[in-house]
Amino acid sequence: MKRHPRLLSLFVFITLIIFIIVPFVPLLLSSLSFGWRWPDVLPESWSFRAWEYVINDGRTWQAVGISLWIALIVTAVNILLAIPAANALVRYSVRGRWLFEAIIFAPIIIPPFISVMGIHLTFLRFGLTETVVGVVLAHIAPTLPYMFRAVMISYQTLSVDWEDQARMLGARALPRFFHVVLPHLLPGIMAGASLSVLISLSQYLITFIIGAGQVVTLPILLFPFVSGGDPGIASAYSLLYAALAIAALVGMDAALKRYYQLNKDSQDPAKGVKP
Amino acid sequence: MWRKSKPYLLLLPAAGTIILLFFGGIFDGLLKSFGYFPAIGETQLTLAAYDRLLHSGSFWESMALTLRIAALSSLLSAVIGALIAVVLFFLNNSMEAASPKAWHRLFQLPLTIPHLVAGYIIVLLFTQSGFVSRLLAAFGWIDDITDFPVIVNDPFGWGIILTYAWKEAPFVALMLYPVLSRIHGSWREVSRVFGAGNWQFVREVVVPVMMPAWAIATFIVFVFTFSAFEVPYLLGVTYPSVLPVYSYQLYTSGTLSDRPEALAVNMILAAITILLGLVAYYFSKRWNVLKGWG
Repeated sequence: MKRHPRLLSLFVFITLIIFIIVPFVPLLLSSLSFGWRWPDVLPESWSFRAWEYVINDGRTWQAVGISLWIALIVTAVNILLAIPAANALVRYSVRGRWLFEAIIFAPIIIPPFISVMGIHLTFLRFGLTETVVGVVLAHIAPTLPYMFRAVMISYQTLSVDWEDQARMLGARALPRFFHVVLPHLLPGIMAGASLSVLISLSQYLITFIIGAGQVVTLPILLFPFVSGGDPGIASAYSLLYAALAIAALVGMDAALKRYYQLNKDSQDPAKGVKP
Repeated sequence: MWRKSKPYLLLLPAAGTIILLFFGGIFDGLLKSFGYFPAIGETQLTLAAYDRLLHSGSFWESMALTLRIAALSSLLSAVIGALIAVVLFFLNNSMEAASPKAWHRLFQLPLTIPHLVAGYIIVLLFTQSGFVSRLLAAFGWIDDITDFPVIVNDPFGWGIILTYAWKEAPFVALMLYPVLSRIHGSWREVSRVFGAGNWQFVREVVVPVMMPAWAIATFIVFVFTFSAFEVPYLLGVTYPSVLPVYSYQLYTSGTLSDRPEALAVNMILAAITILLGLVAYYFSKRWNVLKGWG
């Protein structure tokens, strides 16, 4: 195949377009169409009706806000829980290590809705249903394992010598953590945060069970439209939802790059280690 | 004392949260699946819900549908994902490293799209009046809407399978690609010295190298599609429904007496996924596939 890379790349390019890009075409067309009847491949007339509805409806931006707010709180809690746990499992000899790993990774294998359906009535009794706090609590189990794994990988590449050196230079525990450990963990934390935000944003069932229709995240708002509502509005909401997920990822990636840029400018040769 | 217990104290918040919120919920569900509802005065543990469930035809139909959808989705994603990975691998070998990187990104796009949106994309593409049907009509291959087969909201589950294939194939490719990149360019040259063509190289070198990771990735897709809710809820039919949807239907059907059955379905699902998870973990450890997973 080395002989005709041109032909091969053309082939790959076309496959890529058909497999990845073309599926979005009807979504876009449908969100911009006005009465798109069957045999027409392109809509007869165009309109921004669906987008106007989506943008002017106050519930849209409320839902975007609540979705992001929940995702951010969940991620912040995950960071606070994952860093000490990863530290313990990587740095210390822990008895029953497999048990701790099994406990923390279990929500990857066992679907979280099973647990949420079971705990539903208990949440109801404690008044946690229909609240953002309840939904946040429900989102922690499916997201924490990914954050934990990302931070653990970062810890594995951080030698104890770095901290010992800082200690020798007289740095106490907190400055040691903030100036030595945290900068090293940051890429891992950001990778974990991306996954955590993405997974939190894409939850439908557990948000619906605990939120009971009162905590309206974007997927909750979207569902009635995609299951047999107005196709134009459903398409516009779907595109907005997909864009939100992608923007969250790209945004975090950019933030991390910016952090490194700033750091590089201020204290250039200090960072020699790469994870 | 402090030194000895320190790691456990550090682990406590994370492990405690999962135990309380996750395993607590499962245990809560387990008790209720045995008919334990103190709120309505039911404190006796019985196996009645499981008994009713295992003797009901709809449960077994649901189980068969779930297995079929999970098997077909994981096989389809495995084949497409492997094709993507192998093609990207050859492409990377024959080009400078710069441009394939952007393509890698693009191939990962379906991974970031939420499942509900992916499901709706399949709806718009493959309903009888969908985009594919319009294209076929434009080419004159079909004359009427009804000439296009029902593959969305169909009893077989094709729409669900297509959605998963689209979303999980890039995942399989992503799992395979790092493994493939371990194959050095020199191996290709050695194989050529021995007279192997491209196809033979793929069959004798590439496939054996990626086999363990391939099997594990396929297995992960199987476990996920076996227990996922959103896509079949959107793209399936009311009856028969996959197990998670079946459980949800029982749970929300209104009468409190169906709830133990719904939770019993959940417990059976949990047991199966734990079993599958252990099998996957065992083989991945043996084959050393999932580096960094603990």
